[in-house]
Amino acid sequence: MTDPSSDDRILKLNAAVDGELDAAHWLELEREMRDDPALAAQYRLIASTREAIHRHAPREAAPRALVERIAALAEPAKVRRPFWTGARTLALAASIAAVAFAAGVSLMALRTPGASDAAAQRLVADFARAEIAGQPFDVASSDRHTVKPWLAAHATISAEIADLAQEGFTLEGGRIAIVDRVPAPTLVYRKREHLIAVTELPATMAGSRGAGAIETVDGFHVARWSDANLSYVAVSDIDENELAAFAEAFRAAQKPAGESPAR
Amino acid sequence: MLPLLDDAYSLAKWLSQNPTDAEDIVQDAALRALQALSGVSVDRPKPWFLAIVRNAAMTFMARNRRKTVSYAGDMADLDALDLRQGDDRAPDPEQELIAYEDGERLRQAIAGLPSPFLETLVMRDINGLSYREIAEATESPVGTVMSRLARARSAVAKAMKTNP
Repeated sequence: MTDPSSDDRILKLNAAVDGELDAAHWLELEREMRDDPALAAQYRLIASTREAIHRHAPREAAPRALVERIAALAEPAKVRRPFWTGARTLALAASIAAVAFAAGVSLMALRTPGASDAAAQRLVADFARAEIAGQPFDVASSDRHTVKPWLAAHATISAEIADLAQEGFTLEGGRIAIVDRVPAPTLVYRKREHLIAVTELPATMAGSRGAGAIETVDGFHVARWSDANLSYVAVSDIDENELAAFAEAFRAAQKPAGESPAR
Repeated sequence: MLPLLDDAYSLAKWLSQNPTDAEDIVQDAALRALQALSGVSVDRPKPWFLAIVRNAAMTFMARNRRKTVSYAGDMADLDALDLRQGDDRAPDPEQELIAYEDGERLRQAIAGLPSPFLETLVMRDINGLSYREIAEATESPVGTVMSRLARARSAVAKAMKTNP
């Protein structure tokens, strides 16, 4: 490049392509390009280079596991005050109360909108996203003894894992869902081509036993129930009756185990 | 910060050229950002956070010796580069279109850029930052950003033109 002013013109062409040129400079550049076909060709080339970069090097989605790790880092920090654990427990308790209430009464009209719906909505969105991404679990294993410690290392409550192979629901793996700023262990079971994701949340409400009715959220079925220690939210694209059967089997499998979850 | 993670991850992946390293870098950047955030509000979170990601990437690369982040040495190569894309004849649009269909080659051409040019190109064309925001994130004058961007695009265009 011999002509030094020509360098500036190239910078200006790039700025034009990037929409960084004001109207006055645009006008000037248009005139120049009209008089100089080579300059106009340069402009087209820069624009096509930029377009090709957009097409072939798009922004990538951050891996789900990374997003969840960071969400787990970020959220407790955001509410961190002298009593941050208290704040977290309160938020969680509120949501659990709402979940338990909804499960127990199972009347749409009486259900408090807010925390419980937000949790279900969140878990349904999670489920849909995992399905679409083709990555329904962070740890893939049908072995409870592999899944359990993995979940324990990533969540604050230890997961109860039911072996439901005999009922036709095979354990596929586990992942972490973030519910109300808390990482919650989620088990993924499969029946035929359908996946069922069960998220376990700490239950603090007494008297919330009893099977909840199956709800439909955004086209997915949601079952909720709880025992003395935990609340469960199962999300699936399987049909209503089968999800109810799954919830029943899961509850039944829990009973004899009697293993109390560690905090 | 969560809505920015795709941008952060893309930038980190281009700078480190390794998906696993990129995750480490973004996580480190997130920690730094969270620490920095306590008590301050940030006007423009995107360039702010991407600057942290960029710095985290530089630290990571220096520590792990994944790739030499040598700004001084690398600059000379591209500074010598003719800014104009192609030769003096008007380029043949058909030919350009064909060459730009080769996504793999294009990505390799981008990956081969020296770090200052690479980060500028990625921040502009992938993260969509404005010139001023890139200048802020890379702590460079806008003129330098413009020059690096033009040179980066020119180098990519050249790489696409050269017969493999």
